[in-house]
Amino acid sequence: MARFAMLIDASRCTGCNACRIACQMQWQLPPERYFNRLEHRERGIYPNAKWEIVPIQCMHCDNPPCRDVCPTGATYKRTDGIVLIDSKKCIGCKYCLAACPYGVRQINENGVPEKCRFCAEYIIEGIMPPCTSTCMNEVRVFGDLDDPNSKISKLMAKKEVYQLLPEKGTKPRIYYVKK
Amino acid sequence: MVRVSRRTFLKASALAGVASSLPLMVNFNDFARAAQEAPITKIPTMCNGCSSTCGKYVYIKNGRVWKVEGNPINLKSSGKLCARAHGMAADVYGLGRVTQPMKRIGEMEFEPISWAQAFEEIGNKLYEIINEHGGNSVMWLGHGGKEHYASTFLDEIGSANYVTHYATCFSSKTNVWDRMVGTMLNSDFDNANYMLFVGRNFAGGIIPGVMNRITKAKERGAKVVVVDPRYCELAIIADEWIPIRPGTDLALFLGIAHTLISEKIYDRSFVTNYVYGFDEFWSANKDFTAEKAAEITGIPAEKIREIAREMAANAPKAFLDTGYHGLHAHYANSTQIAMMNVVVNALLGNMFQVGGLMPSAGITLGHVETPQREIPEKGPRADGAGVDDEYPTVEPSRGIPQIVPDLIKKGRIKALFIYHYNPLRTAPDPEYQKGLKEADLVVSIPVDWNETSLYTADYILPESYYLERTEPPKVISGFIAHAYPQIAVRRQAIKPIHNTLPLLDILKGITAAAGYYNLYPFTVEEEIKASVKPLNIAPELLMETGCLEFPASVQPGFPMKDGKPALNTFTGKVEFSIGAFKLYGRQGVATWVPPLVMPNGEDEFRLIHGKQPWHSHHFTCNNPYLMAISDKYNGTWLWMNKTRAEKLGIKNGDLVTISSEKATKEIRVKITELLHPDCVWIPSAYGGFSEKLKTAYQEGINYNDFIPARVEPLSGSVMGQEVIVKVRKGGNS
Repeated sequence: MARFAMLIDASRCTGCNACRIACQMQWQLPPERYFNRLEHRERGIYPNAKWEIVPIQCMHCDNPPCRDVCPTGATYKRTDGIVLIDSKKCIGCKYCLAACPYGVRQINENGVPEKCRFCAEYIIEGIMPPCTSTCMNEVRVFGDLDDPNSKISKLMAKKEVYQLLPEKGTKPRIYYVKK
Repeated sequence: MVRVSRRTFLKASALAGVASSLPLMVNFNDFARAAQEAPITKIPTMCNGCSSTCGKYVYIKNGRVWKVEGNPINLKSSGKLCARAHGMAADVYGLGRVTQPMKRIGEMEFEPISWAQAFEEIGNKLYEIINEHGGNSVMWLGHGGKEHYASTFLDEIGSANYVTHYATCFSSKTNVWDRMVGTMLNSDFDNANYMLFVGRNFAGGIIPGVMNRITKAKERGAKVVVVDPRYCELAIIADEWIPIRPGTDLALFLGIAHTLISEKIYDRSFVTNYVYGFDEFWSANKDFTAEKAAEITGIPAEKIREIAREMAANAPKAFLDTGYHGLHAHYANSTQIAMMNVVVNALLGNMFQVGGLMPSAGITLGHVETPQREIPEKGPRADGAGVDDEYPTVEPSRGIPQIVPDLIKKGRIKALFIYHYNPLRTAPDPEYQKGLKEADLVVSIPVDWNETSLYTADYILPESYYLERTEPPKVISGFIAHAYPQIAVRRQAIKPIHNTLPLLDILKGITAAAGYYNLYPFTVEEEIKASVKPLNIAPELLMETGCLEFPASVQPGFPMKDGKPALNTFTGKVEFSIGAFKLYGRQGVATWVPPLVMPNGEDEFRLIHGKQPWHSHHFTCNNPYLMAISDKYNGTWLWMNKTRAEKLGIKNGDLVTISSEKATKEIRVKITELLHPDCVWIPSAYGGFSEKLKTAYQEGINYNDFIPARVEPLSGSVMGQEVIVKVRKGGNS
């Protein structure tokens, strides 16, 4: 059984947005809809200032609050860990939008929420998600945590990592490299 | 010439329409299934999201472009692509494209005409102009870099007037390196241990292969130092950001050189063996200490010495990156900046050394043998580049694009061909640039309704989009040291969706109609075949892969012949003193030259600009995907240092009025700690004023609005950051 996850080294991100648009092309999204975004932050005072960027997308939580609040079971978690939405079951109540602490869901033109799918249909064929493969700075590493030889498993063993908003108890499948 | 009638064309396109549509389906579900299961084809080609021409694959599904992906072999992309590469692929379906040949019938009015009519009318007019004023009254004005077809045309009519955009970009760099080193060298990111980037933001003016190499070098412990008035995107991954007073980079380089020499930590054996003019340089600069540099740049003297010492300690595996747009066209001292880049690297002895600066590996392509034609003698260049009593040291191969309206006014230029270039938005002073329309004949060959076409062209001849064209192969080079030569090809990914043509066919049509028969006796397929013939490879192999690599052709070591240095300079050595500059009464070596202007008052700032990571200057600004990124991150806003803003009562997001002697505009402000207090910064992307480009129209402002069209006398550049603006809170009403 696969256990898909992503490791993000935010300190490598220079904000080019290739990940956003590569994903938009992959899923043929309109310009104003996107599955990943960048949070920008300034720290310090000139000239000792810093610019930090953190890429954010669906965390594919092991305890997904979006699933827990869904009244129809439209949001579900696959056994490999990927959180998906069954648009046929969705009634458009938007509870999931409010429940997600990472703010990664957007409503599409049919009134159905959408978000990062971890490129579910492609990764089972061994194709990397385009947000990962297009990135010149190799910010993201995607892979299977159950495979000890995967790049992500090896890196996770070597690096100190953290998750966003651990106090929410969501247990995200996206890990960030500690500086 | 073979004429295509409107009727034949319509017949042909109707047939093509039937052939490309899906077979009729019984219901929508069948249709949807067929669409989903349609085979995907993957076609290798070259990107045109900027001019770096990365290798990429285009995925085609149901006859439409689906997505793109970086070619892993191509050293520019190295398997990665930036946002522009994705966005501009989608733009093949963009609403801003010119869809058929157009003829001006009013101030802003055009009527569609056939290619046959366009060729005939342009050909006749061109024939008249050449008869009356001579071939030298014809100018080809373009971005530059790939118009070998234009040269054939200019040679045939006897015109010297091939003019490129480079004076707005990096002409002092090419001018100086050619004279001092005889070639261009590139940073060896793979092997360097210390990298200094000054005014060069590889994470903004992106080459994905370079960023990939820099981040990998960091992983193995290389040090990256970024000097820039703005905390640019490259600074994010750097070990250190050192802000510098804008316009004073020359002083920093002089201070580094002084430290290297006075502390005797420069590579003395390199200088003794391979440098000419060292004594002349040192006697002119021995008083320019790190302290003096500190006073001018605002960088502490100890920090300047630290940089010099660390570079020397890591030499030859240390370099000052050779730079690009940022420092090489924008200051009165840009030529001296470029000269000092050569000097600093030579003092480190890093030239032709692993981990320092290395040449790009080249390979010689073949060309189609064409019958010898009688070539008329060319007149003097209209822009005065390389002309004795005008701009003698400006490179004639690049020219001075920003003064073309004057050349038309003086009667030197009567017919103007503008190819893939939009000076009304990307050259100084758009109101002045509108004077291009005064030429007797203005033909623009764009892909979209850019400002220049809309305001100045008599005829607009749309070229097919880059994904719709096949072009002869080119050797991949520039910016990255690589021992292995590569060639790459642009291959048609989809058939033209509008009534457009590739440049070769456009020029065949115009020249034949003007009476120059059979000027291009070949097809692009024949060109490709001839190009790869000397390499002993099948053209099909290149077309299938998009990019090929050949065995290493570059070895480290200074070029020598018969035991003597053999660079392509007068002495065969690196020349610290430029003879041609002396010949024309200028100093041969670089010394301190102050910037043209400096801000003084509380409301005064130097206006500087840079490339935003998801835009290629103005060229990508009508793309809805890329502009949606601008919207999300307030990309059009003017950056201002927080302390300066507080003094003016300006808060984040406030509307301000910004003015120079040339223009007054309104813009919102981003307040930041990431910018030197002396300047305000804007991305170079915005300020569209072509009503036909709806997404770009009136979004943000452009630095070119604020600067006059000037010429830096040694290299011809625009001095685009020699401008002081006044900023005050509130709109202009």
